[in-house]
Amino acid sequence: MTLRIRLIALLAAAMLLAACTGSTDAPARAVESYLQALARKDADRLAQLSCADWADDAQQALDSFAAVDVTLRDVSCRTSAVEDDIASVSCTGALAATYQGEVRELDLSKQVFEVVNQSGDWLVCSND
Amino acid sequence: MTLLNILVFCAAAILLGLLRQDRWRHWLILALSVAAIYWMQPLMPIRQLDFWLPTAAILLTLGTWVVLQTGRDDARASIRAALPALALIAALVLGIAALRYLGDACCLTPSPPPPLLPVVIALLLAVIVTGVIFVLPIRGVYKMTLLILLLIALLVVLKTPRLSEAASVWLRTLTQQPTGQAAALDIRWLGISYVFFRLVHALRDRQSGLLPALPLQHFAGYVLFFPTYTAGPIDRAERFLKDASREFTLTWPVLYAGGQRIVLGLFKKFVLADLLAVVALDAIKAAQVESTLWTWLMVYAYACRLYLDFSGLSDIAIGLGRLMGFTIPENFTAPYRKSDLTAFWNSWHITLAMWFRAYYFNAVSRALRASRFKFPMALIIAFSQITTMILIGMWHGNTWNFIIWGAWHGVGLFVHNRWATAMKPRARELDARPRLKAALSLLGVLLTFHYVVLGWVWFALPTPALSLTVLQRLFGLS
Repeated sequence: MTLRIRLIALLAAAMLLAACTGSTDAPARAVESYLQALARKDADRLAQLSCADWADDAQQALDSFAAVDVTLRDVSCRTSAVEDDIASVSCTGALAATYQGEVRELDLSKQVFEVVNQSGDWLVCSND
Repeated sequence: MTLLNILVFCAAAILLGLLRQDRWRHWLILALSVAAIYWMQPLMPIRQLDFWLPTAAILLTLGTWVVLQTGRDDARASIRAALPALALIAALVLGIAALRYLGDACCLTPSPPPPLLPVVIALLLAVIVTGVIFVLPIRGVYKMTLLILLLIALLVVLKTPRLSEAASVWLRTLTQQPTGQAAALDIRWLGISYVFFRLVHALRDRQSGLLPALPLQHFAGYVLFFPTYTAGPIDRAERFLKDASREFTLTWPVLYAGGQRIVLGLFKKFVLADLLAVVALDAIKAAQVESTLWTWLMVYAYACRLYLDFSGLSDIAIGLGRLMGFTIPENFTAPYRKSDLTAFWNSWHITLAMWFRAYYFNAVSRALRASRFKFPMALIIAFSQITTMILIGMWHGNTWNFIIWGAWHGVGLFVHNRWATAMKPRARELDARPRLKAALSLLGVLLTFHYVVLGWVWFALPTPALSLTVLQRLFGLS
């Protein structure tokens, strides 16, 4: 077997291994990415992480933070329930909005995020 | 390119330059370039587009290369010889897609790539379509013309706001995202304008019999070359091949020269240009500032900022190329010190002007001169110059402001052409009066600079109405 063929075989094996690797708590990671996008005011990433029905609400949430500085405080999320392609994710920590030195915290533990699996991607679909 | 991109490219360029085996260097340049275009592609609101656009650029490049082989006696042998390069590129694309499955270690692209299956299907479809095009019993020159038209159509869609928005609507339908949020700027395809220039140059030169045989790894390396991918300079394939075929060793003088150029570019772009951005003209400041003096300062700042930003990027690209043994052509040679508009356009974005001259201006003026209708020479020159500059404007964006900017320069070039023709009989007279000549030259520099600066008002602002308001304010007329 030539070196070239061995290298290609090794690369293919590595890719297969990668494809078979399960991701750990993907719904929770999606919500964390969503919250980070909100804090960074990254409209593009927020759009990518929202399902179609939630996109307008996500944009509204972003608009509501337009005039303030937003940071995440000790945010950590985990999936509390999964049924088929729908997962419920709860988070601890807070979203801190600062305006002219005044800080207002939004306690994330009071919200439950509904996350939907769409073609392999977990997307935020609502938060109650 | 971000600062992080540039720093990593510098390190990679130095390591590549140190490689003693030229053969391995070119393979690594190709691999690095493929990875780089995914890394540099910015995030967009449309899901996974940051993976598909670089993939499309690669597939366009590969498809173009196959079309370039049509009509060659050794076409099939060339394609067989290209299999290792094809395999490398396919492996890289699939490898980058597979990063999706690495959890926290993902990704080279700003967002997780699509699942592997659609990527495999896309690559197979591309192979089938390219194969069908290759074997189609149509003359190669027609296939190349069709491909050029397809590339032009693609660019028109991307540069025309309404069409780009419609494309965004279509893509959002595919990704099940709300179409109501579609916008013209959703599709930000990094480097596609420059990919267009390189592919069309190769196709046109092949049609004219000027393009030498290019192995795939060199052609793909030329089109996707990471230092010049995002903002040029626009190199020529034959020139790139010459450098790629030369033996190269990175020595201390070359490292110094390349490094110096990179540092200069970094300083111009990330220090000077970014500082000037605070006061440079833009739509918000244009609407808020009412003072004539401040408007002039904003316009001057914009002119300087644009030059520093763009020439800085060219310096970085040229420096990076130097470290790997490539002599990338110069793009700016003190354009604001030129005493006429023709000289300005021979020194501002030189490679762009040369491209349009070679593939549009010369062809159009030649066709008009050879026409049955005996057009007056002045009309031929006016038409050729004005339409060339309008096309350059539209390349920046298919909006009225860019069209007006292009016409502004086209008319200016024609006026200078007529002036230069009228002054030719008096040239010797002027040579005998050096002081007058120097004074006229200085006046020329000031006039040319301000003509260009006023043109930037159209370039910088989004609407003709706002541009007119600013121009009026500059002359105290508002």
